[in-house]
Amino acid sequence: MKIITTCGMGFGTSLMLLMDIQEIGRKHGVDVQGEALDMSSVKGRDCDAIFGSSEIVKELSDIDVPVIGISNILDKAEIEAKFLDFIKQSDVK
Amino acid sequence: MLGFITSFLSTPAFIIGFVALVGLIAMRRAASDVIKGTLKTILGFMILQAGSGIIVDSLVPFSQMFEDAFGLEGVIAEDNAIAAAVQAVLSMETSFILVFGFLLNLVFARLTPLKYIFLTGHMMFSMAATIAIVLDQMGVSGWAAVGVGSVIQGVTSVVFPALAQPFVRKVTGNDNVAFGFYGSSLVWATGWIGGKLGNKERTTEDVKISPKLDFLKEMSVLMSIVMVLVYGVAAAFASPELVAELSGEQPAPLMVVLNALTFVVGILILLQGVRMFLGELIPAFKGISEKLVPGAKPALDVPIFYAFAPTATTIGFIMAVVGGLVATVLSTFTTVVVLPSVIGLFFMGAAAGVFGNAMGGRRGAVIAGFLLGFLFQFIVAVAYPLVGLDDYGITGLWFASPDAILVVALMRAVGLLFGV
Repeated sequence: MKIITTCGMGFGTSLMLLMDIQEIGRKHGVDVQGEALDMSSVKGRDCDAIFGSSEIVKELSDIDVPVIGISNILDKAEIEAKFLDFIKQSDVK
Repeated sequence: MLGFITSFLSTPAFIIGFVALVGLIAMRRAASDVIKGTLKTILGFMILQAGSGIIVDSLVPFSQMFEDAFGLEGVIAEDNAIAAAVQAVLSMETSFILVFGFLLNLVFARLTPLKYIFLTGHMMFSMAATIAIVLDQMGVSGWAAVGVGSVIQGVTSVVFPALAQPFVRKVTGNDNVAFGFYGSSLVWATGWIGGKLGNKERTTEDVKISPKLDFLKEMSVLMSIVMVLVYGVAAAFASPELVAELSGEQPAPLMVVLNALTFVVGILILLQGVRMFLGELIPAFKGISEKLVPGAKPALDVPIFYAFAPTATTIGFIMAVVGGLVATVLSTFTTVVVLPSVIGLFFMGAAAGVFGNAMGGRRGAVIAGFLLGFLFQFIVAVAYPLVGLDDYGITGLWFASPDAILVVALMRAVGLLFGV
């Protein structure tokens, strides 16, 4: 599956978040391809979901894939729980 | 043949690409990953250079107008634009300082109690370039610069996060991550002062701030507004003859807006390049560090702290802009006018708000944000004579990161002892 992570600049926290999600994916046998982008660039990208910190993703509107906000970007347990919820609800592999 | 190889490897993008290639092969990656990683690193680096070219070009008319209007030099503090612009001459030094500096970071994290791994790529790149520039001006270049520079880079990778850690614990409530950002000392210092003058019990998070201000959180929007204003002011006070000459066939207001927005476009392109070339580098660095120094704390980029007090980020940023404007006005009495430097004010101001709030509540956040904006820009005005960038064809830009400027000052001081 393809995940986009986002933050203000598109290379600091979003890249860390992407690496965390890929690691969680490996743990659960899901192959995650992805890109870290700044919030101005996420619209119209082809992906299965967008992850970012809560205060950033609330700025995103008119996105036609699930947008998942992480309230504490340092909390791996929260990232894992939200990622697994998303996997359950979606049928992408 | 040898001539071809030499010129191939003295091209900045290929030096970086070659380093990536060797690294990927050393990590025994699959052939497809090696090709992909090497090419994306080269492309990212070329995009970065293209962006810096646009930035430097768009600043030329601005610098002329500003100097004509006020008889002073005006600069914007932006590290990555400088780092990219000097690559034409210092790419070998910069890329090897970046790589060996990281390897020394691993050694220090392994052997000393300072167990931090610095993983904020764009900061590592701009610090490496800053060190290379200062050494170059002190007459040290080539492998000697790589040797000295890598040690300095390695030391900064562990020392600045270590200094910040007691304050990071106050904000995050744990000891799992560190602050990997070459402005961290100014963030915690202003936060600490805000804490001394504030009251921790009255948190910012009970304050309601209108979400109408949120559109300013998008960098490109905010920067466009500020740059159009800055260019507009310079044009309004410059002599009509000069403005007419710069405008050519265009109406003057159009020239002003186009140039200001071109600067922003340059920044956006530069950041896209940074993104592409770091997207390959940082995951590799992270993988290596987890293998070689298990249990070390990753030192990460500044936005990791925003979630701990979202309202404080807005307060800190707005106050930083106010402080920055005061510094701009006061800097007219120094040798150089430091213009509002949006990226620094935004990212560091927001963090100062969070640190100030953790130690001194609302008042702490307000004071920390204001002090950060003021000091960040005023330090640039004071330190400006330390390094001249004109030799590299760069006008209107100067270093931004407070910690990097501190390193520059220390290097200059040591240089004086040795007479360079």
